[in-house]
Amino acid sequence: MSNFLFGRYLPGSSWVHQMSPQSKLMLSFYFVVVIFFANNIWTYAALSGLILLVVLMSGVSIGYFLKGIRPLIWLIVFTVLLQILFSSGGHVYWHFGPFSISDTSLINGGFMFIRCLLIIMISTVLTLTTTPLAIADGVQTVLRPLKKVHFPVDTLALMLSIALRFVPTLMDEMETILNAQRSRGVDFGSGSLRHRISAAVPLLVPLFTGAINHAENLSTAMEARGFTDSEHRSKYRVYRWQRKDTISWAVFLLIGILVLFIRKS
Amino acid sequence: MKDIIQIKNISFNYPDQERLFTNFSMNIHEGEWTAIIGQNGSGKSTLARLIDGLIVLKSGQIVVDGLTVNDENIFDIRNKIGMVFQNPEDQFVGATVEDDVAFGLENRQIPREKMQQIVENSLKQVGMWDFRDRIPANLSGGQKQRVAIAGIIALSPKIIILDEATSMLDPRGRQEILKLVDKIKHDNDLTVISITHDIDEAAGADQVIVVNKGKVVEADQPDKIFGDINKLTSIGLSAPFTSELLSALRKRGVDSPSQYLNDQRLITWIKQLISSK
Amino acid sequence: MDQTINFKQVTHTYQAGTPFAQNALSQVSVTIAGGSFTAIIGHTGSGKSTLVQHINALLKPTAGEIKVSGRTITPATTNKNLKQLRKHVGMVFQFPEKQLFEETVIKDIMFGPKNYGVSDEEARLDAKQAMGLVGLDGSLQDKSPFDLSGGQMRRVAIAGVLAMKPEILILDEPTAGLDPRGHKEIMDLAEKLHQQQGMTIILVTHQMDDVVDYASDVIVMDQGKVVKHGEPKDIFSDPEWVYDMHLDLPSAAEFACRLITAGVPLKTIPLTIDKLADAIVGVIQGGQSHE
Repeated sequence: MSNFLFGRYLPGSSWVHQMSPQSKLMLSFYFVVVIFFANNIWTYAALSGLILLVVLMSGVSIGYFLKGIRPLIWLIVFTVLLQILFSSGGHVYWHFGPFSISDTSLINGGFMFIRCLLIIMISTVLTLTTTPLAIADGVQTVLRPLKKVHFPVDTLALMLSIALRFVPTLMDEMETILNAQRSRGVDFGSGSLRHRISAAVPLLVPLFTGAINHAENLSTAMEARGFTDSEHRSKYRVYRWQRKDTISWAVFLLIGILVLFIRKS
Repeated sequence: MKDIIQIKNISFNYPDQERLFTNFSMNIHEGEWTAIIGQNGSGKSTLARLIDGLIVLKSGQIVVDGLTVNDENIFDIRNKIGMVFQNPEDQFVGATVEDDVAFGLENRQIPREKMQQIVENSLKQVGMWDFRDRIPANLSGGQKQRVAIAGIIALSPKIIILDEATSMLDPRGRQEILKLVDKIKHDNDLTVISITHDIDEAAGADQVIVVNKGKVVEADQPDKIFGDINKLTSIGLSAPFTSELLSALRKRGVDSPSQYLNDQRLITWIKQLISSK
Repeated sequence: MDQTINFKQVTHTYQAGTPFAQNALSQVSVTIAGGSFTAIIGHTGSGKSTLVQHINALLKPTAGEIKVSGRTITPATTNKNLKQLRKHVGMVFQFPEKQLFEETVIKDIMFGPKNYGVSDEEARLDAKQAMGLVGLDGSLQDKSPFDLSGGQMRRVAIAGVLAMKPEILILDEPTAGLDPRGHKEIMDLAEKLHQQQGMTIILVTHQMDDVVDYASDVIVMDQGKVVKHGEPKDIFSDPEWVYDMHLDLPSAAEFACRLITAGVPLKTIPLTIDKLADAIVGVIQGGQSHE
């Protein structure tokens, strides 16, 4: 848990911190789309250069990013292996049934590795530099057009913001329950699969009971504070589009166009 | 004296549970600090929720500042009452301190410019303005309760209900919150209802209502209630420190008064006792 | 078995090596005597909870070592072999009722013993005995723990720890949120376990009245360090220092200080109501003898 950086916020006042959340959200999404257009060494180099610039502008040391990626390494390795074993073409070095390894598949595997890394990097930058609340607000702004078709954007945003606000609370509670059951002799994370599943019950039941209690109390408190529905409310927090957003978009769009030009057609 | 809250002959029970209140009546005086005391399970917290219309009354009537608690008046009533609940964690809705104070204002569709002013002013009153950016995970229980109080001040209510609001705090946090509420009560001319089992807190109230098994056992000034240690312990409560000390002195043959004395009066009495010898 | 707990130069850093790193204990050396009733006090965030979680290795030190019941816990200790240690050291967390999960009261209390390989039969006996200890009526055993009152749920949780027959019992603010009667019942239980069963009791608390009423030893923590260790009368003899630690005095001592300020010539600062009453009577009689 302690090394898991993904999804955590690191306070700061860097260029990236100061950008508006809706533009960070959209830029991250745009960046992921562009990644899928990359297909040769030059395009990946351009995108890697861009992400390095973003990391630099976020004021977070690169070492932390690498640490944050560590817990996800098996997921990446698995994806890359699939890519290597199942893609075909080029000079085949080895094959067995449906599996084969060729020069093309090795190159594809390498690209897949960079792709995963880039996606994780951009989303880590987003969450490290943007408070959960700002992300929820960003989502609300980005989805605003959907209100026209009666999509409950405000309710969704409020739910998201409350859910995010309770993540640390529930994490703390999980830790306490984990420790309490450990003191009662439970071995979490060892033994057979069956044993592990049965060891989860003393953890999950109290955790859910606690969460339901929180929800009940919270809804009472919200009602007492005059809450009726999420559509008829004014908004305290407003994020304005800034020059930093415009400049960042310009850079990202340029790189995007560059990728389209230098990709292998 | 005007009664700001009148509870008339109410009966209530939760589904499938024993009757909690039967023909229960009591009044809260305007501008006073009323402590409602009783052991856990005596129905104190339910009472607070009935007053605020958070649970629906089955029979009888509750009137808050001239308005009967019912569906029609519910929002006007909630504008008059601010509630601080027991668990600091479960009433913190906003993602940060200032967002949380703004929550009640957003619900009432206050324009943004006005909100910023009110939020700043309210947070300054509770000494939390410097913490406005903090997320709840980085606040102590006492600080969260301060934020909850700021959220109430922001809506300028007439009544504050503390529903065991200090029971999960350490002694220091408890004293600080009580001092803060007392100051706010004076600055804003409020009525305070404190639901508690902290006897020393109740001893400082203007009026004390002792509730046990859904009945008002006693409703009077603290002086009249806290003299009798046995009566308090028999319903699961403890006696204030000063009553315990007087009783200990009595056991040692000191001729001591049987009525309740607060700290200051007890100190004066002991000084007199010593100088008269 | 020797129940002495020995901390030697123990440091604990949360999330070491990340931007969120925090030193919670720094070079703590302290010995908690076997068979003692030791209170650990300190303001919120002083490291009390971190300290006690090392005693049954829920946390392992970043540096230093802890000796408990003849076992040694170091940064290199692996998770294996900890189970036996945890059986010796019972831990009651704050709001322990949050850990209940079984369908019935008795099953929940049997959970601990069964994890240590005790037979169903025996676990049931241990559970019933534990219910008796905490004062839970036998008729409750087949009820769902979630249908009980808050105070009863807490006693079920404590019974669940006692059923493992620990020799050392750690109580982390066991009375938080209880009413005066519930509070007294839990504290009297701790005293009974200490006196009748010879259990070592470690109480983490903010209630100074409980410290003087029940504890024989007190450890004061501040900023991750043990700043004082002694009997209650040594700890509270210097009111200024106590306030500097952001702690309170016991009610009797606080009232005594106010009496002294008001000009009542008390010679010492009594810690309990009875001692305060004695002292006041002493001053009155002393006054008489001068005449």
